Amino acid sequence: MSTAMNFGAKTFTPRPPEKGAFPLDHFGECKAFKEKFMKCLRDNSFDNSMCRLQSKDYLECRMDHQLMTKEPLAKLGFRDLMDPPPNQSDRDSKP
Amino acid sequence: MLLPLLLRQAASCRAAPRRLLHHQAQHDPRRLLHHQAQHDPRRLLHHQAQHDFLRRRLPPRLHAQSRNRKSKSEQQRDEWSTRNKTVLTYIAAAGVGMIGLSYAAVPLYRLYCQASGLGGTAVAGHDVDQVETMTPVKERIIKITFNADRHASMQWNFKPQQTEIFVVPGETALAFYRAKNPTDKPIIGISTYNVVPFEAGQYFNKIQCFCFEEQRLNPHEEVDMPVFFYIDPEFDEDPRMARVDTITLSYTFFEAKEGQNLPLPGYSYN
Repeated sequence: MSTAMNFGAKTFTPRPPEKGAFPLDHFGECKAFKEKFMKCLRDNSFDNSMCRLQSKDYLECRMDHQLMTKEPLAKLGFRDLMDPPPNQSDRDSKP
Repeated sequence: MLLPLLLRQAASCRAAPRRLLHHQAQHDPRRLLHHQAQHDPRRLLHHQAQHDFLRRRLPPRLHAQSRNRKSKSEQQRDEWSTRNKTVLTYIAAAGVGMIGLSYAAVPLYRLYCQASGLGGTAVAGHDVDQVETMTPVKERIIKITFNADRHASMQWNFKPQQTEIFVVPGETALAFYRAKNPTDKPIIGISTYNVVPFEAGQYFNKIQCFCFEEQRLNPHEEVDMPVFFYIDPEFDEDPRMARVDTITLSYTFFEAKEGQNLPLPGYSYN
């Protein structure tokens, strides 16, 4: 936590999340998806770009179990994953 | 015969007029008398007049001099006093200006911070629709490291599930923390976060996380806490961020009392 005693030093102001807080997954309903995601991360040396499908699946699970407000995935930045790729080259450009 | 007489008269005119007179008394009494009458009174008057004139002149001269001297010093004093007054006026104006500046500095500094984004203050007008339309900047890979802290009196076990993750700006990312309540009673926690370096904090946007809201953990319960975030694509265009390759996200958990309502940070600035 940044103390208030150093006047003139840059301080950090935390911002609230845009869509609020995740409700806690007390029953572990989406734990399987989480494990898949973590495994993918470990396999790809923690490169997020390779594991976007798994993160999309996890968020879909949360929405299904009412642990997250339902929203079109395009709004969550998965627009490129939603479009059906017309050809293979498009699949390559997918992050 | 008369010529030597005339010459002698001219030569000895100054020397001895009386002798001449006496000498010439017989010859030209009228002329000599006339001459004497001409000479002496005129000369005497002239001499006297001169003396009087001199006498008359001296007192006025002295008087004029003293008046000039006094006016000079007076002038100097006047000059000094006007100069002092102008200097004092300038100093007083500067003092008042400083006081006014110190009052104006508070809103001005706030405006400047908002405009320049120093200290991680929220850049005004964050577009939520940006998430939908942003394109990832594939060339810039940033490492996000995770840190988990808790308050000394907080008994949860709190740690991140991955030490680091590589993201690019403009791409949404997911990360997990794990919290466990090892005690026998439910504990309510509330968390806040910190981003280092501070300037990168304005580009770190969280779509959803578990902070700033009370999270209740039952005894011996373990949960996964996700953080869904992205780095603003403008991060790549900021010259101050050119050397930033690592961003550290740090969460700290505190114990919250039941029913405590904490104000959300950042809203006081809006």
